[in-house]
Amino acid sequence: MAGSEPLTKMQRHPSFRARKAVPGKELSPQELSPQIEARIQQLWPRFPEGRAGQALCLPVLYLAQEQFGYVDAAVVDLVAARLGLTAAHVTGVATFYFMINKARPGRYHLQVCTNIGCQLMGAYDVFERCKKRLGVENKGTSADGNVTLTEVECLAACGYGPVAQIAEREKPEIPLYFENLDAKRIDAILDALAEGRVPTELGN
Amino acid sequence: MGLFDVKIISEHFGVPEAKGLEYYERKGGYRNARKACGMAPESIAAEVQASNLRGRGGAGFPTAMKWSFVPKDADTVYLVVNADESEPGTFKDRHILFWNPHMLVEGMIIASVALKVRNAYIYIRGEMAREYQVLQAAIDEAYAKGYLGERIFGSGTSLDITVYRGLGAYICGEETALLSSLEGGRGWPRLKPPFPAVKGLWGKPTIVNNVETIANLPWILEHGGKAFADLGTGRSGGLRLVSVCGHVNKPGVYELPLTVTGRQLIDEVCGGIKGGRKVKGVIPGGVSMPVLAPDELDVPFEFDALQKDERIREVEVRPGQKFDLGGNRTLRTMAGSGGVVVMDDTTDITQAAWRIVHFFAEESCGQCTPCREGTGWLAQVAHRIAFDHGRAGDVDLLASIADGIAGNTICALGDAAAWPTLAFLTKYRDEFEAKVRNAHRPKGAA
Ligand SMILES: Cc1cc2nc3c(=O)[nH]c(=O)nc-3n(C[C@H](O)[C@H](O)[C@H](O)COP(=O)(O)O)c2cc1C
Ligand code: SF4
Ligand code: FES
Repeated sequence: MAGSEPLTKMQRHPSFRARKAVPGKELSPQELSPQIEARIQQLWPRFPEGRAGQALCLPVLYLAQEQFGYVDAAVVDLVAARLGLTAAHVTGVATFYFMINKARPGRYHLQVCTNIGCQLMGAYDVFERCKKRLGVENKGTSADGNVTLTEVECLAACGYGPVAQIAEREKPEIPLYFENLDAKRIDAILDALAEGRVPTELGN
Repeated sequence: MGLFDVKIISEHFGVPEAKGLEYYERKGGYRNARKACGMAPESIAAEVQASNLRGRGGAGFPTAMKWSFVPKDADTVYLVVNADESEPGTFKDRHILFWNPHMLVEGMIIASVALKVRNAYIYIRGEMAREYQVLQAAIDEAYAKGYLGERIFGSGTSLDITVYRGLGAYICGEETALLSSLEGGRGWPRLKPPFPAVKGLWGKPTIVNNVETIANLPWILEHGGKAFADLGTGRSGGLRLVSVCGHVNKPGVYELPLTVTGRQLIDEVCGGIKGGRKVKGVIPGGVSMPVLAPDELDVPFEFDALQKDERIREVEVRPGQKFDLGGNRTLRTMAGSGGVVVMDDTTDITQAAWRIVHFFAEESCGQCTPCREGTGWLAQVAHRIAFDHGRAGDVDLLASIADGIAGNTICALGDAAAWPTLAFLTKYRDEFEAKVRNAHRPKGAA
């Protein structure tokens, strides 16, 4: 077992970098997708009069992230405008939650649990191996932009640890757990990601 | 192993078609939801009262009593199922959501009739994408059959269930933080009282119950509250899902009588410690709960026993000084979330303790100073000790930081960081002190 030096509170704070939208660049989303609009229509009546706009803040942020890959100031503005919220509120929500990417992640986001159940089964060996092979520290993205590596907290699969999940940017989620990881299995996963595919055959 | 044969929730875990409505109904499913729709709310509450059902989310609070706090004249009452399962070591709700989603839906219908709920929500952890899909599919099936929506089962009752996904924040498992999040804000806990049962979601009375708690309700209506109480022991009814991880041969989720002891759980249920090694410590209910030493494992893993049995040492602030839980109570341990973490004799307890406080430092929402600053310091000092940079006085420092957090915060996350820290120091103090003594010495030096 090994661990990295804990970060200070300031370092840990997911400080939100507001970025100006640049016309013509992919960073500048024009509108929320029709799928998001449909979902808003579907969920809106499930909340009391006058509360739906705010209640939909989390679901819409999540779907917007699926559409754009991450949530920057321009995406915040879109969400805020659609739901009738202030940009300040939406920013506050976006920065609070771990699953919202504040900046563009790699194509694959590899999330390795190192919490107690996984730690006991060698998660730090697995995590260190990922760091070394990708040439990154925690929360870093490999030089080729392919993989972002993050150390995450318990994924509720503790009996089958070490465990990882993989999210693919701009793709609807890949709901797989990669369990019982060891050097061999994590190598196979990293090889597949390098080839540009999620090794679904290794997940369950 | 006749003792372990009765199952309420887990009987069909692992059967792929068990997720579907057709299979569930063939096994008698939705019969009790249908029955509930024709019952008076009070008679359902009376069965739950007789069942001695206690909350499976962490605190073990009697479910019927929680329900009774809802004001009788309330115009709107909400039911919110807590499916945020993120207490490290705990992975049982995920199994219910994935293998038996209809039992949760049926339980929610029963609870909604009892509480006169028109709109119910399930707050599911964001990372559980697979479980979300299975659960949503089950709910869609129930709508298609007329078991949810307007006038369900052709009765006068209407009920909508909406699944709400979290976005990655442990604190949103705490019930008031969950409500803040479900309202579309930051997951910030609120001061209690007022309790959610009086003033919850959008200011209305709201019952927050754990997935497993609610999934027990169909069985209770089928067999009667008394039968459920008889399955249990003392003031705790029914069976319990326990998730076991760490150094055992057969980790996993087991549905067990509450009389099973820690030792039975490891040896008889989980096939013993890996490699025939010895046990060094066991966390009985998720990492928020104080660890048990090997000589404390003959106590049943039941709510009251874990709190009161004198075979479990009281947690201390420093040797000889008991930790004060308030109201002249001392702390032994608690059944918590049923997440059991087993550590064998090769485990470096100081590193395990560091990883736990590091988790709480990461997940503190930052509202209260003792928690925000305290958990950060705990993590730093614990890291120093665990990774051989400990300084003289660090062990006492760790204890005093923990003692300074406990009882001084808005929500129980502060206690959840402090209690296990103090328990590790109470039971494995020598190891922490040895680490500090040997800090900075070159390898191999005497
Ligand atoms: C920091 C913290 C995290 C919690 N996480 C969860 C959780 O993930 N799931 C859960 O059911 N209860 C969790 N709880 C307990 C809830 O606040 C609440 O007591 C519970 O959902 C009530 O349901 P029950 O009465 O059926 O147990 C947590 C409590 C705290 C203080
Ligand atoms: S105790 Fe910690 S997590 Fe709970 S409200 Fe205070 S700062 Fe937030
Ligand atoms: S500790 Fe890794 S999944 Fe729970």
